[in-house]
Amino acid sequence: MAGSIKIRAYDIDGQVTVKSIINHPMETGQRKIKKTGKKVPPHFIKEVIVSRNRKIVMEAFWGKSISRNPFLSFQIPGRKGDTITISWLDNRGNSDSATAKVR
Amino acid sequence: MKRRTLLKASLQLGLAGVILPQAASGAYPTRAFLAKEIPDVLRTAFGTADIGASDQIEIDAPHIASDANMVPVRIKSGFENTESIALVVAGNKSPFTAFFKLYESQSFVSTRIRMSDTSDLLVVVKADGVLYSSSRPIRIGRNGCGA
Repeated sequence: MAGSIKIRAYDIDGQVTVKSIINHPMETGQRKIKKTGKKVPPHFIKEVIVSRNRKIVMEAFWGKSISRNPFLSFQIPGRKGDTITISWLDNRGNSDSATAKVR
Repeated sequence: MKRRTLLKASLQLGLAGVILPQAASGAYPTRAFLAKEIPDVLRTAFGTADIGASDQIEIDAPHIASDANMVPVRIKSGFENTESIALVVAGNKSPFTAFFKLYESQSFVSTRIRMSDTSDLLVVVKADGVLYSSSRPIRIGRNGCGA
Protein backbone atom coordinates (compact mmCIF):
# COMPACT_ATOMS: atom_id res chain seq x y z
CA MET A 1 0.00 0.00 0.00
CA ALA A 2 3.03 2.20 -0.04
CA GLY A 3 2.78 5.44 -1.95
CA SER A 4 -0.98 5.66 -1.63
CA ILE A 5 -1.01 9.18 -0.18
CA LYS A 6 -0.40 12.46 -1.94
CA ILE A 7 0.05 15.52 0.25
CA ARG A 8 0.35 19.19 -0.59
CA ALA A 9 0.81 21.65 2.25
CA TYR A 10 1.07 25.41 1.90
CA ASP A 11 1.75 28.16 4.41
CA ILE A 12 -0.64 31.02 3.75
CA ASP A 13 -0.17 33.86 6.25
CA GLY A 14 0.73 31.59 9.16
CA GLN A 15 -2.08 29.17 8.41
CA VAL A 16 -1.18 25.85 6.83
CA THR A 17 -3.61 24.47 4.28
CA VAL A 18 -3.16 20.77 3.65
CA LYS A 19 -4.71 18.96 0.72
CA SER A 20 -4.35 15.24 0.31
CA ILE A 21 -5.64 12.36 -1.73
CA ILE A 22 -5.42 8.74 -0.64
CA ASN A 23 -5.68 6.01 -3.26
CA HIS A 24 -8.13 3.53 -1.83
CA PRO A 25 -11.10 1.61 -3.29
CA MET A 26 -13.42 2.45 -0.34
CA GLU A 27 -15.79 -0.43 -1.11
CA THR A 28 -19.10 -0.04 0.71
CA GLY A 29 -20.04 -3.70 0.63
CA GLN A 30 -23.15 -2.76 -1.37
CA ARG A 31 -21.70 -2.79 -4.86
CA LYS A 32 -22.42 -5.84 -6.93
CA ILE A 33 -20.38 -7.32 -9.72
CA LYS A 34 -22.86 -7.41 -12.59
CA LYS A 35 -21.68 -10.71 -14.12
CA THR A 36 -21.84 -12.79 -10.96
CA GLY A 37 -24.33 -10.81 -8.89
CA LYS A 38 -21.98 -11.12 -5.94
CA LYS A 39 -21.43 -8.21 -3.60
CA VAL A 40 -17.96 -6.79 -3.33
CA PRO A 41 -16.94 -7.10 0.34
CA PRO A 42 -16.48 -3.84 2.25
CA HIS A 43 -13.00 -2.39 2.17
CA PHE A 44 -12.68 1.11 3.51
CA ILE A 45 -10.46 3.40 5.54
CA LYS A 46 -11.57 3.61 9.15
CA GLU A 47 -9.08 5.95 10.64
CA VAL A 48 -6.81 8.73 9.44
CA ILE A 49 -4.26 10.41 11.64
CA VAL A 50 -2.58 13.69 10.82
CA SER A 51 0.40 14.94 12.71
CA ARG A 52 2.49 18.07 12.45
CA ASN A 53 6.08 17.79 13.63
CA ARG A 54 5.18 14.38 15.12
CA LYS A 55 2.36 15.77 17.23
CA ILE A 56 -1.17 14.64 16.40
CA VAL A 57 -3.31 17.51 15.15
CA MET A 58 -6.26 15.63 13.74
CA GLU A 59 -7.85 12.23 13.97
CA ALA A 60 -10.57 11.27 11.52
CA PHE A 61 -12.92 8.31 11.77
CA TRP A 62 -14.52 7.38 8.49
CA GLY A 63 -17.35 5.14 7.44
CA LYS A 64 -18.29 3.66 4.08
CA SER A 65 -19.91 6.89 2.91
CA ILE A 66 -16.60 8.51 2.11
CA SER A 67 -15.90 8.59 -1.62
CA ARG A 68 -13.43 6.33 -3.40
CA ASN A 69 -9.88 7.70 -3.42
CA PRO A 70 -10.71 9.98 -0.51
CA PHE A 71 -9.88 13.65 -0.67
CA LEU A 72 -9.09 15.33 2.59
CA SER A 73 -8.30 18.98 3.14
CA PHE A 74 -7.92 20.97 6.34
CA GLN A 75 -6.24 23.98 7.88
CA ILE A 76 -3.93 23.90 10.86
CA PRO A 77 -1.65 26.38 12.55
CA GLY A 78 1.96 26.07 11.44
CA ARG A 79 4.59 27.50 9.21
CA LYS A 80 6.81 26.80 6.24
CA GLY A 81 9.19 23.88 6.85
CA ASP A 82 6.92 21.99 9.25
CA THR A 83 6.46 18.32 8.49
CA ILE A 84 2.98 16.96 7.96
CA THR A 85 2.43 13.23 8.29
CA ILE A 86 -0.76 11.51 7.25
CA SER A 87 -1.40 7.86 7.98
CA TRP A 88 -4.44 5.66 7.50
CA LEU A 89 -5.73 2.29 8.62
CA ASP A 90 -8.48 0.34 6.83
CA ASN A 91 -10.91 -2.36 7.96
CA ARG A 92 -8.59 -5.11 6.69
CA GLY A 93 -5.68 -3.88 8.75
CA ASN A 94 -3.80 -2.34 5.83
CA SER A 95 -2.14 0.96 6.49
CA ASP A 96 0.15 3.52 4.95
CA SER A 97 1.68 6.83 5.82
CA ALA A 98 3.35 9.69 4.04
CA THR A 99 5.16 12.82 5.06
CA ALA A 100 5.45 16.17 3.35
CA LYS A 101 7.06 19.49 4.15
CA VAL A 102 4.98 22.65 4.30
CA ARG A 103 5.87 24.93 1.41
CA MET B 1 17.76 -9.82 -0.87
CA LYS B 2 14.49 -10.10 0.97
CA ARG B 3 16.23 -9.66 4.28
CA ARG B 4 17.88 -6.51 2.99
CA THR B 5 14.63 -4.87 1.95
CA LEU B 6 12.98 -5.81 5.21
CA LEU B 7 15.86 -4.37 7.18
CA LYS B 8 15.76 -1.21 5.13
CA ALA B 9 12.01 -0.84 5.56
CA SER B 10 12.13 -1.29 9.31
CA LEU B 11 15.00 1.16 9.57
CA GLN B 12 13.09 3.78 7.63
CA LEU B 13 10.05 3.26 9.78
CA GLY B 14 12.07 3.62 12.93
CA LEU B 15 13.75 6.78 11.71
CA ALA B 16 10.57 8.47 10.60
CA GLY B 17 8.90 7.82 13.97
CA VAL B 18 5.66 7.31 12.14
CA ILE B 19 2.51 7.40 14.21
CA LEU B 20 0.32 4.67 12.79
CA PRO B 21 -3.39 4.59 13.57
CA GLN B 22 -3.06 1.28 15.47
CA ALA B 23 -0.91 3.00 18.01
CA ALA B 24 -3.48 5.72 18.59
CA SER B 25 -6.59 5.87 20.71
CA GLY B 26 -8.57 3.11 19.00
CA ALA B 27 -11.70 5.10 19.73
CA TYR B 28 -13.48 4.19 16.51
CA PRO B 29 -17.19 4.97 17.09
CA THR B 30 -18.44 1.66 15.68
CA ARG B 31 -21.93 1.97 17.14
CA ALA B 32 -22.51 5.39 15.63
CA PHE B 33 -21.54 4.06 12.22
CA LEU B 34 -23.98 1.16 12.61
CA ALA B 35 -26.97 3.25 13.75
CA LYS B 36 -29.68 3.67 11.11
CA GLU B 37 -31.89 6.51 12.34
CA ILE B 38 -30.70 10.07 12.90
CA PRO B 39 -31.73 10.31 16.60
CA ASP B 40 -29.98 6.96 17.24
CA VAL B 41 -26.89 8.14 15.42
CA LEU B 42 -26.74 11.32 17.48
CA ARG B 43 -27.38 9.48 20.74
CA THR B 44 -24.68 6.88 20.13
CA ALA B 45 -22.18 9.40 18.83
CA PHE B 46 -22.80 12.32 21.17
CA GLY B 47 -24.95 10.99 24.01
CA THR B 48 -27.91 13.18 23.09
CA ALA B 49 -30.22 13.67 20.13
CA ASP B 50 -31.14 17.16 21.27
CA ILE B 51 -28.60 19.38 19.56
CA GLY B 52 -29.31 23.06 19.00
CA ALA B 53 -29.01 24.58 15.53
CA SER B 54 -26.39 27.23 14.95
CA ASP B 55 -25.69 29.66 12.12
CA GLN B 56 -21.97 29.63 12.95
CA ILE B 57 -21.38 26.51 10.90
CA GLU B 58 -20.76 27.12 7.23
CA ILE B 59 -21.55 24.22 4.92
CA ASP B 60 -20.22 24.62 1.43
CA ALA B 61 -21.66 21.93 -0.83
CA PRO B 62 -23.36 21.86 -4.19
CA HIS B 63 -27.15 22.43 -4.21
CA ILE B 64 -27.39 19.78 -6.87
CA ALA B 65 -24.65 17.17 -6.96
CA SER B 66 -24.05 15.60 -10.35
CA ASP B 67 -22.15 12.58 -8.99
CA ALA B 68 -23.70 10.95 -5.92
CA ASN B 69 -20.47 9.04 -5.29
CA MET B 70 -18.40 12.19 -5.01
CA VAL B 71 -20.16 15.06 -3.34
CA PRO B 72 -17.59 17.64 -2.27
CA VAL B 73 -18.28 19.24 1.10
CA ARG B 74 -16.40 21.97 2.92
CA ILE B 75 -17.19 22.67 6.54
CA LYS B 76 -16.12 25.80 8.36
CA SER B 77 -16.88 26.22 12.01
CA GLY B 78 -17.20 29.76 13.31
CA PHE B 79 -16.44 28.70 16.88
CA GLU B 80 -13.05 29.47 18.33
CA ASN B 81 -12.43 26.24 20.20
CA THR B 82 -13.80 23.70 17.77
CA GLU B 83 -13.07 20.23 19.14
CA SER B 84 -14.73 18.04 16.56
CA ILE B 85 -16.73 18.10 13.35
CA ALA B 86 -19.07 15.27 12.38
CA LEU B 87 -20.86 14.65 9.08
CA VAL B 88 -24.17 12.83 9.01
CA VAL B 89 -26.01 12.12 5.76
CA ALA B 90 -29.68 11.65 6.63
CA GLY B 91 -30.59 9.61 3.57
CA ASN B 92 -27.81 7.02 3.72
CA LYS B 93 -28.27 3.50 5.08
CA SER B 94 -25.57 4.25 7.59
CA PRO B 95 -25.97 8.00 8.10
CA PHE B 96 -22.86 8.60 10.23
CA THR B 97 -20.26 9.45 7.63
CA ALA B 98 -17.21 11.02 9.19
CA PHE B 99 -15.95 12.27 12.49
CA PHE B 100 -12.99 14.64 12.69
CA LYS B 101 -11.32 15.24 16.02
CA LEU B 102 -9.36 18.46 15.99
CA TYR B 103 -6.56 18.91 18.50
CA GLU B 104 -5.30 22.38 17.65
CA SER B 105 -6.94 25.65 16.74
CA GLN B 106 -8.60 24.35 13.61
CA SER B 107 -11.97 25.09 12.13
CA PHE B 108 -11.99 23.80 8.59
CA VAL B 109 -12.24 20.37 6.99
CA SER B 110 -13.16 19.31 3.50
CA THR B 111 -13.74 15.92 1.92
CA ARG B 112 -15.90 14.08 -0.60
CA ILE B 113 -18.81 11.93 0.48
CA ARG B 114 -21.28 9.46 -0.99
CA MET B 115 -25.01 10.10 -0.90
CA SER B 116 -27.52 7.42 -1.79
CA ASP B 117 -30.27 9.92 -2.45
CA THR B 118 -31.33 13.54 -2.21
CA SER B 119 -31.25 14.33 1.49
CA ASP B 120 -29.97 16.61 4.23
CA LEU B 121 -26.35 16.82 5.22
CA LEU B 122 -26.23 17.33 8.97
CA VAL B 123 -23.08 18.75 10.50
CA VAL B 124 -22.48 18.51 14.23
CA VAL B 125 -19.75 20.64 15.74
CA LYS B 126 -18.46 20.45 19.28
CA ALA B 127 -16.92 23.64 20.59
CA ASP B 128 -16.00 24.37 24.21
CA GLY B 129 -17.81 21.18 25.17
CA VAL B 130 -21.11 22.30 23.63
CA LEU B 131 -22.74 20.64 20.61
CA TYR B 132 -24.10 22.65 17.70
CA SER B 133 -25.67 21.49 14.49
CA SER B 134 -26.48 22.77 11.06
CA SER B 135 -27.96 21.10 8.02
CA ARG B 136 -28.19 21.65 4.30
CA PRO B 137 -30.28 19.83 1.71
CA ILE B 138 -28.28 18.40 -1.17
CA ARG B 139 -30.02 17.19 -4.29
CA ILE B 140 -28.63 14.28 -6.24
CA GLY B 141 -28.80 14.87 -9.96
CA ARG B 142 -28.49 11.31 -11.19
CA ASN B 143 -28.77 7.82 -9.73
CA GLY B 144 -27.65 7.32 -6.15
CA CYS B 145 -25.04 4.89 -4.93
CA GLY B 146 -26.76 2.93 -2.17
CA ALA B 147 -24.25 3.70 0.58
